[in-house]
Amino acid sequence: MLRLGNPGRRLHAGLIAMAFVLSLFAGRLVQLQGLDSKVLQAKAERQRVQPETLPARRGSITDVNGHELALTKDAAEIYVDPYEVDPKKREQVSSTLASELNLPKEKVDAALAKTQQRYIPLNRDVDPLRAKKIMEMRFKGVGSKPTYRRMYPGGRLAGGLLGFVGYDGHGLEGLERTYDKLLAGQDGQQSIEIGRGGERIPMTRSTRKEPVAGQDVRLTIERDIQWAAEQAIDRQVQASKAASGSVIVMDIKTGQILAMANSPGVDLNHWSTVAAEDRGNRAASEVFEPGSTNKVITAAAAIEHAGVTPNTVFRVPDQIQCADRVLKDAHTHPPEKLTFTGVIAESSNVGTIMAARKLSNQRLYDTIRAFGFGSVSGSGLPGEEAGLLPDWRTWSGSQRCTVAYGQGVSVTALQMASVYQTIANGGVRVTPSLVAGTTDGHGRLAPAPTPKQTRVISETTAKQISGMLEAAVGNDGTGTEAAIPGYRVAGKTGTAMRYDQKCGGYCGYTATFVGFTPADAPRLMALAVIQDPKKGHYGGAVAAPVFREVMSFALKTRKIPPTGTKAPKAVLRAGE
Amino acid sequence: MIQQAALRRRSFASRAVGQGSPVRRMDGLMMLAIAALAVIGTLLVWSSTRNWMSVQPTGMAKKHVLNILIGLALFLVVAMTDYRRLQTAAPWIFIAALIGLLLVISPMGATINGHHSWITLGGGFAVQPAELAKPALVLILARCLVKPAEKTGRPRLASMALCLGATGITAALVMLEPDLGTTMVLLVITGGVLVLAGVRKRWIMAFLLLGGAMAAAVWSLGLLKPYQVARFTALINPASDPRGVGYNSTQALVAIGSGEIFGKGLFHGGQTTGRFVPEQHTDFIFTVAGEELGFLGSVTVVLLLGVVLLRAVRIARQCDDRFGALVAGGIVCWFAFQSFVNVGMTIGIMPITGIPLPFVSYGGTAMFANMMAVGMLQAIRIRGYGRRAA
Repeated sequence: MLRLGNPGRRLHAGLIAMAFVLSLFAGRLVQLQGLDSKVLQAKAERQRVQPETLPARRGSITDVNGHELALTKDAAEIYVDPYEVDPKKREQVSSTLASELNLPKEKVDAALAKTQQRYIPLNRDVDPLRAKKIMEMRFKGVGSKPTYRRMYPGGRLAGGLLGFVGYDGHGLEGLERTYDKLLAGQDGQQSIEIGRGGERIPMTRSTRKEPVAGQDVRLTIERDIQWAAEQAIDRQVQASKAASGSVIVMDIKTGQILAMANSPGVDLNHWSTVAAEDRGNRAASEVFEPGSTNKVITAAAAIEHAGVTPNTVFRVPDQIQCADRVLKDAHTHPPEKLTFTGVIAESSNVGTIMAARKLSNQRLYDTIRAFGFGSVSGSGLPGEEAGLLPDWRTWSGSQRCTVAYGQGVSVTALQMASVYQTIANGGVRVTPSLVAGTTDGHGRLAPAPTPKQTRVISETTAKQISGMLEAAVGNDGTGTEAAIPGYRVAGKTGTAMRYDQKCGGYCGYTATFVGFTPADAPRLMALAVIQDPKKGHYGGAVAAPVFREVMSFALKTRKIPPTGTKAPKAVLRAGE
Repeated sequence: MIQQAALRRRSFASRAVGQGSPVRRMDGLMMLAIAALAVIGTLLVWSSTRNWMSVQPTGMAKKHVLNILIGLALFLVVAMTDYRRLQTAAPWIFIAALIGLLLVISPMGATINGHHSWITLGGGFAVQPAELAKPALVLILARCLVKPAEKTGRPRLASMALCLGATGITAALVMLEPDLGTTMVLLVITGGVLVLAGVRKRWIMAFLLLGGAMAAAVWSLGLLKPYQVARFTALINPASDPRGVGYNSTQALVAIGSGEIFGKGLFHGGQTTGRFVPEQHTDFIFTVAGEELGFLGSVTVVLLLGVVLLRAVRIARQCDDRFGALVAGGIVCWFAFQSFVNVGMTIGIMPITGIPLPFVSYGGTAMFANMMAVGMLQAIRIRGYGRRAA
């Protein structure tokens, strides 16, 4: 064969070319599977491995008898994968989802138009049956996954107290937030491998960590009393055209809060429509100057440390010079000879100042502090404020006088309630509590730790003050509206000037009534406070009726009988 | 009598496999490499199709084995034939192949998996005539070029024209399907056989220029389908459209790369099982090797293909007979081009074209054609240079 036409030579060239290509391939494989393999493998895993959170079931919040106030039900999340949705069916998918999920169609359209996205949740709170129905239509690119749905069967019931959860299922306000860790449990985790079509890849490892369900929180709240308290305060806030109001009912012996109502309330199933300032738990978070209800502390200090007795007589004019200010009683009156009981029962500012003058500033301050002012109650309540009790060393000349009758010092309703619990309990303060216990996964109730007990004043002093407070509800007192037929009621009105940031000074009033029943063997205490009422402003007129209504109901609910005794005749004026 | 018959039987057996028998004279190394590729291919097909919804886990693998067995039978028939008879039969074989291609265009043609390249034979069987056109074209080209001009020893102009004509008709019919990949294989086979037949260098240059000009014309006149253009763009920049055309390429690289040195293990490739790579039992089967068998496995596949090619070149070189050499050379071009383009596209150095990997990819007709081609190689080896040795 001729040299040039010899296939052999050209085959030889081909051979070299082939060897070159083969080594090129080998080199490229070294690059892909050796040098770049980590990058490519990571890319593969990003595509394939989907970590998935297995949500833990959130615990319930129940009242003291186990009635559910907040509970978790099964729900479904419906999401779309716009990339997968058949463009020809997009219209049908959109209109079906819009009507099934009760969403505006434009919103679904907008979601489906994002065809570069793979996961857009449409509704996280779908009834499981409805979700099943949607999934049975078998639209490509529409998915469902199980979630939980937080429900508040009571709606507004204990709204500010319970709080609510956000879209992520974690507490945003109230007890839901304070006890979030306990209620939420521990979400589980699983990572699964998903194929291109969204199917589980068989024979691949999957890791799974089971979720741990949250614990139930049992409150000390009694649903019925809570409801009655809310009704009463709502009605009075409306009737008096007030800004807001709160009611607290507490068990004297245990310090357990049986009701804690706020008005305006918050409907937990529609919390997002409620103004932010109305979502909280005012009873523990709103700070105000208490006014005359504070006089019991001055009285306690005067009796304990200045030798004053309920029968000590003060010659009380209707005004008194205190440093640079002239401080007055609520009504003008000629100078009167009032017993200390009379001073409290008729709520004389001047008389209280006269008693306070028998005390050093420090003594008064220490007593106020001992009653719990200036620090949080220790109840662990959501959003609780400490109030404002300036140190006695910083008091201005007149402040020692105003503090004595509850101006120039700020408290929360809960702090004031605790003062009266202490007096009613023979001088022993029991830290207020709201949580009776928690229930673990097996339904066993682990009771909350016993609240701390602290003696604040002697039993004798407490008894004496109780008597004075009973007189305040008696015929000549300021709190007659609080009287409950058949029961002996002790209590105190408060009508404080209200500091309002909006007007930059004192405008409007804070009307309070706080007391306990039965006066001679106290079982329950209740406090009603109404902020900035426009129709009437005296605590005796605006707040006392709320106290009476709630307390009457609470006594009935708790089946507390009258003691059957009669209040001793109180001496309010010297010589009576 | 009985003793004599027994003697004759034994002597037939000894003639079949004994000293100097055709089987003994086959290229054993090539057969070993092909057997290894077929075994690996079967495992890869099994792995990549076992979680199909429509068939049983082993359904595709079993069909693949059946295809291999049929291919083996065809191989034996061809290998035992004196290949010089193929020289005589070449025109008829070629005409038969053209008829097959015409049938695809006729109402007998069928579209399977989006490719209109099939004719159905009833009973669930279907073949792709374009695959069978490859060996037919090799034969007709060799036949045309078997007698060079007396004076120069180079192919005559007339026979070259004949070759180009035959290629043109075949390629045109395949393009009508349309099947760009197979068309390219046919053109490469023609080019290769012409080069081996001793066409002058200036002619080769002219052909290359002509081909380049035609390619440029096709490109600029917009005769390519947009998806075909996009494939070239995607080769240069796979990220240009990661979910469209670049998807295949990107997924192939991801799958191969995640195999690392030792692979994820057969049946344990997440990308394969998740079916991220399209067509992974056919055109992209190399990615399955890459992911599940790792660098060692994929390099083994490349080496085995190399062995087949080198042994085929050896057969072509050692053949005394011009027809045999050209046939073997054509087959080398065919296998080499398919192997290189297929592996090349999965590892991102060639554009995506629908070309299966010889002996490995799933596909009956391709397997038959490949095995028949190997049969021809062995037939040439058995008879093509026995005389020189003798």
